[in-house]
Amino acid sequence: MRHTRPAVGVTALVLLAAACSPGPGAAPGAATPAPAKPGYLAVADPALPGGGTLNFQVHVDTGAATGLDPQLADVATSWQLMSLVYETLVTVGPDFSIQPMLAERWETPDPTTYVFHLREGVKFSNGRAMTADDVVGSLKRLLASKSVWVGQLGPVKSVAKDGDAAVRVTLKEPYAPFLAALANVPAAVLPMKEVEDKSVDLATTMLGTGPYVVGEHRQDVSWSFRRNPEYWAQGRPALDAVNVTIAPEEAARIAALQNGSASMATLGNVDSAGMLAGAANVQVLSQATTDFYYLMLNTQAPGSKFADPRVRQAVNLAMNRTQIAEVATGGQGKPTGVTPAGLPGACDPATLPSATGGGAEAARRLLAEAGAQNLSFTLAIYSTEPAPAVAQVIQQNLQQAGITVKIEQTDEATWAGKVYGKAPAEFDAALSWFAGYADAGMVTKWWNPDVAGFNAGFMKADAALSEAIDAAGKATGAARTEALAKVCQEADRDAQMIPLVTRPVTVAYRTDALSPSLYATEGYGNVLRLLPEIRAKKAQ
Amino acid sequence: MRLALWWSGRALSAAATLLGVSVLIFAAVRMMPGGFAETILGPFATPEQKAELAARYGLDQPVFLQYGHWLAAVAGGDFGTSMISRQPVADELLARLPVTAELTAFSVAAALLLGVPLGVLTAVRARPRGGAAAGRLLSGLGVSVPEFVLGSLAVFLFSRYALGVPAGGYVPFGQDPAGNLASMVLPSAVLSVFALSATARTTRDAVLGVLVEPYVTAAVARGETPWFIVRHHILRNAAGPVVTLVATITAYLLGGALVVEYVFNLPGIGSYIVQAVGRRDYAVVQAGVLLAAAVFIVMNALVDLAVGALDPRLGVTGKGAA
Repeated sequence: MRHTRPAVGVTALVLLAAACSPGPGAAPGAATPAPAKPGYLAVADPALPGGGTLNFQVHVDTGAATGLDPQLADVATSWQLMSLVYETLVTVGPDFSIQPMLAERWETPDPTTYVFHLREGVKFSNGRAMTADDVVGSLKRLLASKSVWVGQLGPVKSVAKDGDAAVRVTLKEPYAPFLAALANVPAAVLPMKEVEDKSVDLATTMLGTGPYVVGEHRQDVSWSFRRNPEYWAQGRPALDAVNVTIAPEEAARIAALQNGSASMATLGNVDSAGMLAGAANVQVLSQATTDFYYLMLNTQAPGSKFADPRVRQAVNLAMNRTQIAEVATGGQGKPTGVTPAGLPGACDPATLPSATGGGAEAARRLLAEAGAQNLSFTLAIYSTEPAPAVAQVIQQNLQQAGITVKIEQTDEATWAGKVYGKAPAEFDAALSWFAGYADAGMVTKWWNPDVAGFNAGFMKADAALSEAIDAAGKATGAARTEALAKVCQEADRDAQMIPLVTRPVTVAYRTDALSPSLYATEGYGNVLRLLPEIRAKKAQ
Repeated sequence: MRLALWWSGRALSAAATLLGVSVLIFAAVRMMPGGFAETILGPFATPEQKAELAARYGLDQPVFLQYGHWLAAVAGGDFGTSMISRQPVADELLARLPVTAELTAFSVAAALLLGVPLGVLTAVRARPRGGAAAGRLLSGLGVSVPEFVLGSLAVFLFSRYALGVPAGGYVPFGQDPAGNLASMVLPSAVLSVFALSATARTTRDAVLGVLVEPYVTAAVARGETPWFIVRHHILRNAAGPVVTLVATITAYLLGGALVVEYVFNLPGIGSYIVQAVGRRDYAVVQAGVLLAAAVFIVMNALVDLAVGALDPRLGVTGKGAA
């Protein structure tokens, strides 16, 4: 996410150079992925022997300012790296169903009670067996923390042991996303005995039950992980070691894939697939995610142009999400409402008023009603692709409705200062993206600034929307789908934060080095979710 | 005695320069738009977390106090702690120094070993107009094409066509000496293009200036061989500007080859500073800039000594002029 201006030039140059390279048809030795199971992009070949090393490259390290404490990790890059060491009670399957992890099963005797039966034989990497006290202590510690994940965990009333091998969690009221919230790294089971006797400082040391242990870490340079000898799953992980290189420059990651020094990498630019099209033994896959871009309209600045809801709705009407998805994400993203497209129960964005309301012409009429015919505003974006491309499509869309948009592209720090630095915030409109998580109702909570205080600088709580979000949290079954649809409608009307399109992730790997397993869609930004299954094709 | 006085003057001048740089960089990082708290902690941080971060690093104090504390700490050898890694900045810089030093050494070596002979050759054989023009064109291109253009082209070509040299990444020397040298070939080559071209141009200009001196004409008249004339009369007298240039380039590169380290993903001082600027990691940026300034000052002093040794008339002790 952090690039410099030279980096933009570098990427442009590599793009230019790539244009001169042979196209996909001329790719010598290009591999075709084996047919994957439904819900999977790739499935590792179980016939391959274990062992070997994954050399993985990503663009950014963990957000280490908050340390390595998983409960304080609030960005997907941190979750991904921490998931090598930490595990949760439950996890998510390829269809976002909740699957066992450290809890081998659970019961819900009533809508507000969950009893988790802990897996036997689970040990932390220091050799100590995981106990119910670790689970209880971890959840209590999380609930008492300043973690943003407390808001996602929901209305937890109590957490207590239920015998030596079970944990009972009681909620104040039904909360549908509870299990999905438990499936992410901030809800990991921590070694509470060591935390409490202060023999382990979680801010600086990672100690979990996961498949790997940390060998070495140099911030913003590299990580090395080695297999956890105490890991509970027989025969897993298949790989002996994982080396992670932090390579901010996308061209460097592409080069590493091409020359084989990386066996897997994540890429941000949707054009990267084209750049690697001619590379031998490199497979490029687009993993859908529930993450999505959204447009913030600042209603809290003095004299805000967006205080009038008709102006916001006009902007919403004038944007063509399909075009944004096609042009800015290379057709890999999908239009979405506030419930992320791809998640069970998510609403259909094509049915929302912003999609059916008449487009640019209707927007012009609304602007005329609001007396804002010559609306112009500045759209603050950062330079990480494809944000500039998304902004340019928005600019062209809004021009059709007579709205002039000036794009202000800055580095991420400047952008963050404008958007989150002061209240009221100092911007007209801004572009960003949210992780979409694993339940359609989770990210909707960020649409209520009373819950998501970080948004309070530019938006105010809308009573009807907040009520709809709360109702969707409590609803179950078919009623929940209706409740989520209501949330979509209200967010579309409120239009202080306007959902746009989902954000795909490009994953590339060496077919001569790796047989990976990957979900087709990921909710927590974790490309390495199925790492224990990944197998190496040759010793490295 | 005169040398001691000269060193004292230099030390005073260096201290004043570093003090000025410290004020400038301290003010500059705080004037950069965008807050460190939002950048480092991310958008979800609460006001309490931001305040806690500011308090932890003394950033909640008045700016003058912050500066005073920082300056006192720097004077004692403490460059502060990175807000990102929570590690002492001095340790981080030291850990990255070998990468930058190695890159600098290779680049400067290429500039000296190739640039100086090229410059001499194009000067003494300036008569054939075509060769001289080609030399000027090539060296002009070398100094004017930005490093990020050459770097990204090299990354693309050497990774796309598997030309036998790694394009990006770093292998520590202690881990694999051959791999280390291989990983430094391309970055050093890219970085040395500017240094080599500038050295060749400067050498050529200096040699051309010396060629018209009467003592060269006299040497020719005495029947001395061309190689003898070049070695004993031309190179020594033309060395001043070349030494100055190479020292300046060395100082610049030791301060961090920002673009090349970033493009080739080398964990050196340059890429460290680039990332720190993007994240508003104040202590790192301040230390990095101060270090670069200090390197420049030291290199300038060494240049003065070296030039004096080469040509006593220009020496710091003034013996030659006496």
